Amino acid sequence: MPPKRKAPPGNQAPAAKAGRASAMSTPGPATPRSIESSAMSDPEDDDDMAINDEDISDAQKEREALMTREADQFVNKFALGDAQRRQNDGESRRIDAASHLFKKRDFSHLPLKPDHHLRPLWIDPVTCTLILERFSPLAARVTDFLITIAEPKSRPTFMHEYALTPHSLYAAVSVGMRPRDIIDTLDRFLKTALPASVRRKIEDYTKSFGKVKLVLKHNRYFIESADADVLQTLLKDPVVGGLRVHGSDTTTYAPTMGGLVIPGTQNAAGLRQANLTQPGKPGAAGAAGAAGAGAGPAAGAGAADPADPNQEGGLLANLNEEEDDDDDDKEAVHSFEISDANVETVQKRCLDIGFPILEEYDFRNDDVNPNLEIDLRPNTQIRTYQEKSLSKMFGNGRAKSGIIVLPCGAGKTLVGITAACTIKKGVIVLCTSSMSVVQWRQEFLKWSNINPDDVAVFTAESKNKFSGSTGIIVTTYSMVTNSRERSHDSKKMMDFLRSREWGLMLLDEVHVVPAEMFRRVISSIKSHSKLGLTATLLREDDKISHLNFLIGPKLYEANWMELSQEGHIAKVQCAEVWCPMPPEFYDEYLHSSARMKRTLYAMNPRKFQACQYLINYHESRGDKIIVFSDELYSLKQYALKLKKVFIYGGTSQSERMQVLENFQHNPEVNTLFLSKIGDTSLDLPEATCLIQISSHFGSRRQEAQRLGRILRAKRRNDEGFNAFFYSLVSKDTQEMYYSSKRQAFLVDQGYAFKVITQLANIENTPDLAFATPQESRELLQRTLVDNERGGEDDVETDDLFGKASRGGGRKKAGVRRTAGMLSELAGGQDMAYVEQNKAANKALKQAGGKKKGGAEGQNKFFKGIQREKEKSRARG
Amino acid sequence: MVKAVRGVLVECEPAIKSILVLIDSENRNEFIIEDLDETHLFVKETMLHLLKQKLEERLKETYRPEEPLEDSE
Repeated sequence: MPPKRKAPPGNQAPAAKAGRASAMSTPGPATPRSIESSAMSDPEDDDDMAINDEDISDAQKEREALMTREADQFVNKFALGDAQRRQNDGESRRIDAASHLFKKRDFSHLPLKPDHHLRPLWIDPVTCTLILERFSPLAARVTDFLITIAEPKSRPTFMHEYALTPHSLYAAVSVGMRPRDIIDTLDRFLKTALPASVRRKIEDYTKSFGKVKLVLKHNRYFIESADADVLQTLLKDPVVGGLRVHGSDTTTYAPTMGGLVIPGTQNAAGLRQANLTQPGKPGAAGAAGAAGAGAGPAAGAGAADPADPNQEGGLLANLNEEEDDDDDDKEAVHSFEISDANVETVQKRCLDIGFPILEEYDFRNDDVNPNLEIDLRPNTQIRTYQEKSLSKMFGNGRAKSGIIVLPCGAGKTLVGITAACTIKKGVIVLCTSSMSVVQWRQEFLKWSNINPDDVAVFTAESKNKFSGSTGIIVTTYSMVTNSRERSHDSKKMMDFLRSREWGLMLLDEVHVVPAEMFRRVISSIKSHSKLGLTATLLREDDKISHLNFLIGPKLYEANWMELSQEGHIAKVQCAEVWCPMPPEFYDEYLHSSARMKRTLYAMNPRKFQACQYLINYHESRGDKIIVFSDELYSLKQYALKLKKVFIYGGTSQSERMQVLENFQHNPEVNTLFLSKIGDTSLDLPEATCLIQISSHFGSRRQEAQRLGRILRAKRRNDEGFNAFFYSLVSKDTQEMYYSSKRQAFLVDQGYAFKVITQLANIENTPDLAFATPQESRELLQRTLVDNERGGEDDVETDDLFGKASRGGGRKKAGVRRTAGMLSELAGGQDMAYVEQNKAANKALKQAGGKKKGGAEGQNKFFKGIQREKEKSRARG
Repeated sequence: MVKAVRGVLVECEPAIKSILVLIDSENRNEFIIEDLDETHLFVKETMLHLLKQKLEERLKETYRPEEPLEDSE
């Protein structure tokens, strides 16, 4: 396990203090930037994923610790050194009256170009941050360019912030950008001259990256480079040179995008038409080959580009031209072979001597692994951003490993499936729960023409293999990484998975899986390329920093605002509602333990009223509402009091299904209360409004994932439609702090939160709950009493669709001894049992039951029995 | 004999009042002379400064101070 990141070291503290007064008074960059995770009190570590650490042998742990350390070193190698920072500061600087306000961010020494008002880009040479004026007419072109070379940090409406990181530059190189192009283009758009330190940095990072490639060809590993000198250096290296397979040196020609067409794009459509006119060439696979062979690779690339100008953006057009030129005189690629066993050694060695290896999979020339018959259905059109993201992956006709970041509901699954259809080899899909396993399989069948027998599922319940020589396996992370004793069947299945080579490994929701787990997955299953999919590539701990290293760079990150403007995801109005705490609640709050504090600010009666008001308001507008609460106690209290249906960890499977179905189709059920089991992978396109009454501390990911529940709203394309996201916050409590923290990610995506301090006419709500101080006090007393016993076991480990297959997490209550009468046991005490505050779930069940009884034709036999019963009841 | 104590009328939000009362009770009731209503307190004049200071500390616990931005080092 990587050590938790600590707060910044002590030497920074005094300086921070000294600068405080002015830091407060200066309105800094408006968006709260919280890229640094550290100081959060976020106890959520592994609870997304169960790892049974105790089951793993010590040796394995040790090995993992070692690898973690190595990865850390690798990551840190490229981090900015403090020394370098200071050196940059040493540049001449004019000091005037305003200087002290900017502290170290005073860049007045960078001279502005005379025509700077025409150029949209600013740069911070110390942190390598680029700031783009989004309102400039050039912005669209610059955005395309920046997305290629830098990582988006923050994208509100008018100002975008990007950071040049080693990884982003590495990704740029891997899609074929050259350092010269990066520097020239940056210089063209910058308002100031490109600072020498940044130029140096870009050169440094790009020089070594991407020069050497590790290519799996014919299932043999080749080290490849376009630069013969580099390869010579490697061969002279005692370690690498010794591991070379002799007599394997070759010179081939660089692959181009050539005949490769990503299915579902416009090119593919054009190709199909071409194919129709040439009836001699059957099948789409033949067509791709035909285009390549008939027109030649250079012409093929040339033809593909004008057909789809969006693909790379106008800015990169000149690059493409250059690429085409290169095709004419065919860039030579030199390579030598290394044996399978030594791949890791060579990789490590190359890293040490400054030539990090890029991994690519030349799947078109892989004829060892059998091809999979899979293609997108002819009517499937993928969207432009999906195409963009895939063109990053298949930039040069080979499959690169990496991560694609798309918002929830923007069609991550389809991207994965299209990638699978492009590679056409065995695919293994890893997802987070057994329910999403089923969903993935259905999506495969829905979008592609694959034979249903070829999509197999490996979960605790079903373990089938595909019929043919290759196919698709869908499974969960926990199934693959589980290292405990397995059943015979799953052991056999694992051996099968291990023994094969996979063309593509699709990793769904990669952010939930910590690095150690990945290492275990990657070490046990061999795949040529890996594609990670996620909506929120962030964790409050720093466990995803290694993903770059383990899976690959971030290939693409979509702009949420752009997608919602284009109607791919819903437009959302976000609001934070401040609810004051009544004095008696606040008094109690001040005295309570941390645990009780959380319950109290969730149970705040004003919050309750706000929730009631919002539910009434939105139900009358015809919205379907989901209310989220992390606090189980308040979840139940709210739902019972408001007579709404609810689902939490303890709800049985059949009840969950019933409730969800009713929420979707029953016009009477418009509000659903969910605990955090509903945060992810819940697909309810009916929902259009979301209210959050309690949440997990400052988790930005939870906030984003919850918002994701309404992004795919069915009605999103209705005119003037808005989805609503309310976050109810108790004033003067820690919730305020957490809430601002949580919003950081969404604010970076361009969402604006309105603060509502007073809901209009809330007093006039009919049956307003806890309206009098008397009721409010009663609520407080009840809350305190109910939670005194330490509350319920609040740990929820499963997701919405069933308990994960990890045994015995929850403790059973022990035996209790109470005094009582024997008659009590028989129910003979003169007490009548009436349920006062019925759960709405039960009403649903009864209604459902009745319907079933009446409508569905029962067997005659049972009908007869029932009639008998009724008769006897009537008589008695 | 009547003993007079100079005091100051403090008007604040209910939540702040709650905190003030809490501070008072933790310090042997040194601060407050009279608890008037939801938003008003009568406080010893001599202790006013100390009370303000304690309140600041308390508020810092509730709203944790913003972590310094990267540039305010």
